[in-house]
Amino acid sequence: MGDLYVWSVILGLTLVTIVTRAGYLFVPERLGLPGWLERGLRYAPACALVAIIASDLGLSPASAGIMTLLANPRLLGLGAGIGTFLATRSMLATIGVGMLVFNLAR
Amino acid sequence: MDPARLSARSEFLYGTRAVLPAATATAAWGIVTGVAMVKAGLSVSQAIGMTVIVFAGSAQLAATPLIVAGASAPVILVTAVIINLRFIIYGAALSTHFRGASALRKLGLGYLSADISFAVFMQRMASEPGRPFADAFLLGAAGANWVVWQIASLLGIVLAGFIPTRYGLGFAGTLALAALAVPLVRTGPARLGVAATALFALATLDWPLKLGLFAATAAGMATALLAELWSEHRARRRPREADRG
Repeated sequence: MGDLYVWSVILGLTLVTIVTRAGYLFVPERLGLPGWLERGLRYAPACALVAIIASDLGLSPASAGIMTLLANPRLLGLGAGIGTFLATRSMLATIGVGMLVFNLAR
Repeated sequence: MDPARLSARSEFLYGTRAVLPAATATAAWGIVTGVAMVKAGLSVSQAIGMTVIVFAGSAQLAATPLIVAGASAPVILVTAVIINLRFIIYGAALSTHFRGASALRKLGLGYLSADISFAVFMQRMASEPGRPFADAFLLGAAGANWVVWQIASLLGIVLAGFIPTRYGLGFAGTLALAALAVPLVRTGPARLGVAATALFALATLDWPLKLGLFAATAAGMATALLAELWSEHRARRRPREADRG
Protein backbone atom coordinates (compact mmCIF):
# COMPACT_ATOMS: atom_id res chain seq x y z
CA MET A 1 0.00 0.00 0.00
CA GLY A 2 1.81 3.03 -1.31
CA ASP A 3 1.52 6.40 0.35
CA LEU A 4 0.02 7.97 -2.78
CA TYR A 5 -2.68 5.28 -2.92
CA VAL A 6 -3.60 5.81 0.73
CA TRP A 7 -3.78 9.60 0.40
CA SER A 8 -5.88 9.47 -2.76
CA VAL A 9 -8.28 7.10 -0.97
CA ILE A 10 -8.40 9.54 1.97
CA LEU A 11 -9.26 12.41 -0.39
CA GLY A 12 -11.88 10.24 -2.04
CA LEU A 13 -13.39 9.40 1.36
CA THR A 14 -13.55 13.12 2.15
CA LEU A 15 -15.54 13.68 -1.04
CA VAL A 16 -17.83 10.82 -0.02
CA THR A 17 -18.48 12.53 3.33
CA ILE A 18 -19.26 15.85 1.63
CA VAL A 19 -21.52 14.38 -1.04
CA THR A 20 -23.50 12.10 1.27
CA ARG A 21 -23.92 14.72 4.02
CA ALA A 22 -24.42 17.92 2.03
CA GLY A 23 -25.59 16.56 -1.34
CA TYR A 24 -29.28 16.42 -0.51
CA LEU A 25 -29.31 20.09 0.53
CA PHE A 26 -28.65 20.96 -3.12
CA VAL A 27 -31.44 18.80 -4.55
CA PRO A 28 -34.41 20.92 -5.72
CA GLU A 29 -37.54 20.25 -3.67
CA ARG A 30 -39.45 18.56 -6.51
CA LEU A 31 -36.66 16.02 -7.18
CA GLY A 32 -36.64 14.05 -3.92
CA LEU A 33 -35.95 10.33 -3.64
CA PRO A 34 -38.87 7.95 -4.30
CA GLY A 35 -40.49 6.76 -1.07
CA TRP A 36 -39.59 3.07 -1.39
CA LEU A 37 -35.91 3.90 -1.93
CA GLU A 38 -35.87 6.16 1.10
CA ARG A 39 -37.38 3.33 3.13
CA GLY A 40 -34.83 0.83 1.86
CA LEU A 41 -31.98 3.22 2.62
CA ARG A 42 -32.96 3.25 6.30
CA TYR A 43 -31.67 -0.32 6.52
CA ALA A 44 -28.43 0.38 4.65
CA PRO A 45 -26.22 1.45 7.59
CA ALA A 46 -27.12 -1.53 9.80
CA CYS A 47 -26.63 -3.98 6.92
CA ALA A 48 -23.35 -2.42 5.79
CA LEU A 49 -21.98 -2.43 9.35
CA VAL A 50 -22.95 -6.07 9.85
CA ALA A 51 -21.37 -7.04 6.51
CA ILE A 52 -18.09 -5.43 7.56
CA ILE A 53 -18.19 -6.97 11.04
CA ALA A 54 -18.86 -10.42 9.54
CA SER A 55 -15.97 -10.08 7.10
CA ASP A 56 -13.69 -8.84 9.92
CA LEU A 57 -14.14 -12.08 11.84
CA GLY A 58 -11.35 -13.70 9.89
CA LEU A 59 -13.44 -16.76 9.10
CA SER A 60 -13.01 -18.61 5.83
CA PRO A 61 -15.30 -21.08 4.09
CA ALA A 62 -12.79 -23.77 5.18
CA SER A 63 -13.38 -22.96 8.85
CA ALA A 64 -17.13 -23.37 8.50
CA GLY A 65 -17.29 -26.43 10.77
CA ILE A 66 -19.34 -25.69 13.86
CA MET A 67 -16.51 -26.49 16.29
CA THR A 68 -13.93 -24.26 14.59
CA LEU A 69 -16.59 -21.58 14.41
CA LEU A 70 -17.31 -21.75 18.13
CA ALA A 71 -13.60 -21.67 18.98
CA ASN A 72 -12.99 -18.48 16.95
CA PRO A 73 -11.66 -15.85 19.39
CA ARG A 74 -13.07 -12.96 17.35
CA LEU A 75 -16.53 -14.50 17.27
CA LEU A 76 -16.37 -15.11 21.04
CA GLY A 77 -15.18 -11.54 21.64
CA LEU A 78 -17.91 -10.16 19.39
CA GLY A 79 -20.60 -12.21 21.14
CA ALA A 80 -19.41 -11.02 24.55
CA GLY A 81 -19.24 -7.43 23.27
CA ILE A 82 -22.79 -7.48 21.88
CA GLY A 83 -24.10 -9.01 25.11
CA THR A 84 -22.35 -6.27 27.08
CA PHE A 85 -23.78 -3.58 24.84
CA LEU A 86 -27.32 -4.90 25.25
CA ALA A 87 -26.86 -4.87 29.03
CA THR A 88 -25.05 -1.54 29.43
CA ARG A 89 -25.58 0.53 26.23
CA SER A 90 -21.98 1.64 26.69
CA MET A 91 -19.50 1.51 23.83
CA LEU A 92 -16.53 1.55 26.20
CA ALA A 93 -17.84 -1.41 28.20
CA THR A 94 -18.56 -3.23 24.92
CA ILE A 95 -15.00 -2.76 23.74
CA GLY A 96 -13.52 -3.57 27.17
CA VAL A 97 -15.37 -6.86 27.63
CA GLY A 98 -15.04 -7.82 23.94
CA MET A 99 -11.27 -7.26 23.96
CA LEU A 100 -10.89 -9.14 27.25
CA VAL A 101 -12.75 -12.23 25.99
CA PHE A 102 -10.97 -12.05 22.62
CA ASN A 103 -7.53 -11.96 24.30
CA LEU A 104 -8.38 -14.72 26.80
CA ALA A 105 -9.60 -16.94 23.96
CA ARG A 106 -6.47 -16.51 21.85
CA MET B 1 -24.41 44.77 18.95
CA ASP B 2 -27.60 44.44 16.92
CA PRO B 3 -30.28 42.10 18.32
CA ALA B 4 -30.27 39.70 15.32
CA ARG B 5 -26.59 39.04 15.80
CA LEU B 6 -27.00 38.60 19.49
CA SER B 7 -29.64 35.95 19.13
CA ALA B 8 -27.76 34.10 16.38
CA ARG B 9 -24.93 33.98 18.86
CA SER B 10 -27.13 32.69 21.68
CA GLU B 11 -28.56 30.01 19.38
CA PHE B 12 -24.99 28.98 18.53
CA LEU B 13 -24.26 28.63 22.25
CA TYR B 14 -27.49 26.65 22.80
CA GLY B 15 -26.26 24.32 20.08
CA THR B 16 -22.87 23.75 21.66
CA ARG B 17 -24.52 23.10 25.02
CA ALA B 18 -26.99 20.63 23.49
CA VAL B 19 -24.27 18.24 22.27
CA LEU B 20 -22.23 18.31 25.48
CA PRO B 21 -24.17 15.49 27.23
CA ALA B 22 -23.05 13.23 24.39
CA ALA B 23 -19.43 14.38 24.61
CA THR B 24 -18.14 11.39 26.60
CA ALA B 25 -19.62 8.95 24.08
CA THR B 26 -18.20 10.98 21.18
CA ALA B 27 -14.81 11.14 22.89
CA ALA B 28 -14.73 7.39 23.57
CA TRP B 29 -15.68 6.68 19.99
CA GLY B 30 -12.99 9.09 18.72
CA ILE B 31 -10.26 7.53 20.85
CA VAL B 32 -11.20 4.03 19.68
CA THR B 33 -11.25 5.12 16.05
CA GLY B 34 -7.83 6.76 16.41
CA VAL B 35 -6.27 3.72 18.11
CA ALA B 36 -7.89 1.26 15.69
CA MET B 37 -6.74 3.13 12.56
CA VAL B 38 -3.09 3.05 13.66
CA LYS B 39 -3.26 -0.49 15.04
CA ALA B 40 -4.78 -1.73 11.78
CA GLY B 41 -1.73 -0.44 9.90
CA LEU B 42 -2.16 3.20 8.87
CA SER B 43 0.80 5.50 9.55
CA VAL B 44 0.32 8.26 12.13
CA SER B 45 0.18 11.00 9.46
CA GLN B 46 -2.31 9.00 7.35
CA ALA B 47 -4.50 8.43 10.41
CA ILE B 48 -4.37 12.14 11.29
CA GLY B 49 -5.22 13.12 7.71
CA MET B 50 -8.08 10.66 7.69
CA THR B 51 -9.62 11.85 10.92
CA VAL B 52 -9.22 15.59 10.27
CA ILE B 53 -10.66 15.72 6.76
CA VAL B 54 -12.79 12.58 6.29
CA PHE B 55 -14.61 13.21 9.61
CA ALA B 56 -16.86 10.14 9.47
CA GLY B 57 -15.92 7.59 12.13
CA SER B 58 -17.83 4.54 10.93
CA ALA B 59 -16.71 5.04 7.31
CA GLN B 60 -13.11 5.53 8.52
CA LEU B 61 -13.21 2.31 10.54
CA ALA B 62 -14.78 0.42 7.66
CA ALA B 63 -12.28 1.76 5.13
CA THR B 64 -9.15 1.17 7.21
CA PRO B 65 -8.92 -2.63 6.94
CA LEU B 66 -9.77 -2.37 3.23
CA ILE B 67 -6.97 0.17 2.68
CA VAL B 68 -4.49 -1.97 4.60
CA ALA B 69 -5.54 -5.05 2.60
CA GLY B 70 -4.89 -3.06 -0.61
CA ALA B 71 -8.49 -3.25 -1.87
CA SER B 72 -9.09 -1.19 -5.02
CA ALA B 73 -10.07 2.44 -4.50
CA PRO B 74 -13.56 2.15 -6.07
CA VAL B 75 -14.44 -0.72 -3.72
CA ILE B 76 -13.36 1.30 -0.68
CA LEU B 77 -15.24 4.41 -1.79
CA VAL B 78 -18.45 2.53 -2.60
CA THR B 79 -18.23 0.84 0.81
CA ALA B 80 -17.94 4.27 2.43
CA VAL B 81 -20.92 5.53 0.44
CA ILE B 82 -23.02 2.61 1.67
CA ILE B 83 -21.95 3.16 5.30
CA ASN B 84 -22.80 6.85 4.85
CA LEU B 85 -26.18 6.32 3.18
CA ARG B 86 -27.86 7.29 6.44
CA PHE B 87 -26.53 10.82 5.92
CA ILE B 88 -28.65 11.12 2.77
CA ILE B 89 -31.71 10.46 4.93
CA TYR B 90 -30.46 13.08 7.41
CA GLY B 91 -29.92 15.46 4.48
CA ALA B 92 -33.50 14.98 3.35
CA ALA B 93 -34.66 15.98 6.84
CA LEU B 94 -32.24 18.92 7.09
CA SER B 95 -33.05 20.26 3.63
CA THR B 96 -36.51 21.46 4.66
CA HIS B 97 -34.85 23.85 7.16
CA PHE B 98 -32.18 25.29 4.87
CA ARG B 99 -33.92 25.88 1.54
CA GLY B 100 -32.89 29.51 1.29
CA ALA B 101 -29.34 29.15 2.64
CA SER B 102 -26.31 30.05 0.54
CA ALA B 103 -24.38 27.27 -1.20
CA LEU B 104 -21.40 27.73 1.09
CA ARG B 105 -23.59 27.49 4.18
CA LYS B 106 -25.30 24.33 2.89
CA LEU B 107 -21.93 22.78 2.15
CA GLY B 108 -20.47 23.66 5.55
CA LEU B 109 -23.53 22.69 7.61
CA GLY B 110 -23.95 19.45 5.67
CA TYR B 111 -20.31 18.43 5.92
CA LEU B 112 -20.23 19.04 9.69
CA SER B 113 -23.55 17.31 10.49
CA ALA B 114 -22.53 14.00 12.03
CA ASP B 115 -24.97 11.67 13.80
CA ILE B 116 -25.07 13.41 17.19
CA SER B 117 -25.40 16.96 15.90
CA PHE B 118 -28.16 15.88 13.53
CA ALA B 119 -30.05 14.14 16.36
CA VAL B 120 -29.75 17.18 18.63
CA PHE B 121 -30.86 19.53 15.84
CA MET B 122 -33.93 17.47 14.98
CA GLN B 123 -34.92 17.33 18.68
CA ARG B 124 -34.70 21.11 18.85
CA MET B 125 -36.72 21.60 15.67
CA ALA B 126 -39.37 19.16 16.92
CA SER B 127 -39.73 20.89 20.29
CA GLU B 128 -39.62 24.44 18.92
CA PRO B 129 -40.54 24.47 15.26
CA GLY B 130 -39.98 27.74 13.44
CA ARG B 131 -37.45 29.02 15.95
CA PRO B 132 -35.13 31.45 14.12
CA PHE B 133 -31.39 31.00 13.57
CA ALA B 134 -31.64 27.25 13.04
CA ASP B 135 -28.37 27.44 11.11
CA ALA B 136 -26.57 29.03 14.07
CA PHE B 137 -27.89 26.33 16.39
CA LEU B 138 -26.76 23.54 14.04
CA LEU B 139 -23.37 25.17 13.55
CA GLY B 140 -22.89 25.39 17.32
CA ALA B 141 -23.87 21.75 17.83
CA ALA B 142 -21.85 20.43 14.89
CA GLY B 143 -18.86 22.63 15.66
CA ALA B 144 -18.65 21.53 19.32
CA ASN B 145 -19.05 17.91 18.25
CA TRP B 146 -16.26 18.38 15.68
CA VAL B 147 -13.87 19.75 18.31
CA VAL B 148 -14.55 16.92 20.79
CA TRP B 149 -14.21 14.30 18.05
CA GLN B 150 -10.92 15.68 16.70
CA ILE B 151 -9.24 16.01 20.10
CA ALA B 152 -10.30 12.46 21.04
CA SER B 153 -9.19 10.96 17.71
CA LEU B 154 -5.79 12.65 17.86
CA LEU B 155 -5.42 11.40 21.43
CA GLY B 156 -6.23 7.87 20.24
CA ILE B 157 -3.72 8.11 17.38
CA VAL B 158 -0.98 9.19 19.81
CA LEU B 159 -1.96 6.58 22.44
CA ALA B 160 -1.85 3.80 19.85
CA GLY B 161 1.96 4.10 19.77
CA PHE B 162 2.17 3.17 23.46
CA ILE B 163 -0.07 0.11 23.33
CA PRO B 164 1.66 -3.18 22.43
CA THR B 165 0.41 -4.81 19.22
CA ARG B 166 -0.04 -8.18 20.92
CA TYR B 167 -3.40 -7.15 22.39
CA GLY B 168 -4.87 -7.13 18.88
CA LEU B 169 -6.44 -3.70 19.33
CA GLY B 170 -7.43 -3.53 15.65
CA PHE B 171 -10.32 -5.72 16.78
CA ALA B 172 -11.53 -2.84 18.99
CA GLY B 173 -12.68 -1.16 15.78
CA THR B 174 -14.87 -4.14 14.92
CA LEU B 175 -16.36 -4.06 18.43
CA ALA B 176 -17.02 -0.34 18.10
CA LEU B 177 -18.86 -0.96 14.81
CA ALA B 178 -20.94 -3.61 16.61
CA ALA B 179 -21.87 -1.07 19.30
CA LEU B 180 -23.00 1.27 16.50
CA ALA B 181 -24.93 -1.43 14.67
CA VAL B 182 -26.91 -2.92 17.58
CA PRO B 183 -29.12 0.13 18.30
CA LEU B 184 -29.96 0.33 14.58
CA VAL B 185 -31.51 -3.14 14.71
CA ARG B 186 -34.74 -2.48 16.56
CA THR B 187 -37.50 -3.90 14.37
CA GLY B 188 -38.32 -7.35 13.00
CA PRO B 189 -37.50 -6.42 9.39
CA ALA B 190 -34.15 -4.95 10.48
CA ARG B 191 -33.32 -8.18 12.36
CA LEU B 192 -34.12 -10.29 9.32
CA GLY B 193 -32.10 -7.92 7.15
CA VAL B 194 -28.93 -8.08 9.23
CA ALA B 195 -29.25 -11.86 9.63
CA ALA B 196 -29.43 -12.20 5.84
CA THR B 197 -26.48 -9.82 5.52
CA ALA B 198 -24.33 -11.79 7.98
CA LEU B 199 -25.02 -15.14 6.30
CA PHE B 200 -24.46 -13.67 2.85
CA ALA B 201 -21.23 -11.95 3.94
CA LEU B 202 -19.83 -15.20 5.36
CA ALA B 203 -20.86 -17.14 2.26
CA THR B 204 -19.19 -14.64 -0.10
CA LEU B 205 -15.92 -14.17 1.83
CA ASP B 206 -13.85 -15.56 -1.02
CA TRP B 207 -15.36 -13.24 -3.63
CA PRO B 208 -12.68 -11.01 -5.17
CA LEU B 209 -12.26 -7.30 -4.33
CA LYS B 210 -14.50 -7.57 -1.27
CA LEU B 211 -17.48 -7.47 -3.64
CA GLY B 212 -19.27 -9.81 -1.24
CA LEU B 213 -19.68 -6.77 1.07
CA PHE B 214 -21.99 -5.06 -1.42
CA ALA B 215 -23.85 -8.20 -2.32
CA ALA B 216 -24.42 -8.92 1.37
CA THR B 217 -25.53 -5.34 2.11
CA ALA B 218 -27.91 -5.25 -0.85
CA ALA B 219 -29.33 -8.67 0.04
CA GLY B 220 -29.91 -7.53 3.62
CA MET B 221 -31.57 -4.26 2.58
CA ALA B 222 -33.84 -6.07 0.13
CA THR B 223 -34.75 -8.67 2.78
CA ALA B 224 -35.58 -5.97 5.33
CA LEU B 225 -37.63 -3.93 2.87
CA LEU B 226 -39.58 -6.99 1.70
CA ALA B 227 -40.21 -8.04 5.31
CA GLU B 228 -41.47 -4.54 6.06
CA LEU B 229 -43.79 -4.48 3.03
CA TRP B 230 -45.05 -7.96 3.85
CA SER B 231 -45.89 -7.11 7.46
CA GLU B 232 -47.70 -3.98 6.28
CA HIS B 233 -49.61 -6.00 3.74
CA ARG B 234 -50.69 -8.42 6.47
CA ALA B 235 -51.67 -5.59 8.79
CA ARG B 236 -53.83 -4.11 6.04
CA ARG B 237 -55.54 -7.40 5.25
CA ARG B 238 -56.41 -8.35 8.79
CA PRO B 239 -59.20 -5.80 9.44
CA ARG B 240 -60.91 -6.74 6.19
CA GLU B 241 -60.88 -10.41 7.14
CA ALA B 242 -62.39 -9.44 10.46
CA ASP B 243 -65.17 -7.58 8.59
CA ARG B 244 -66.04 -10.67 6.63
CA GLY B 245 -66.16 -12.84 9.75
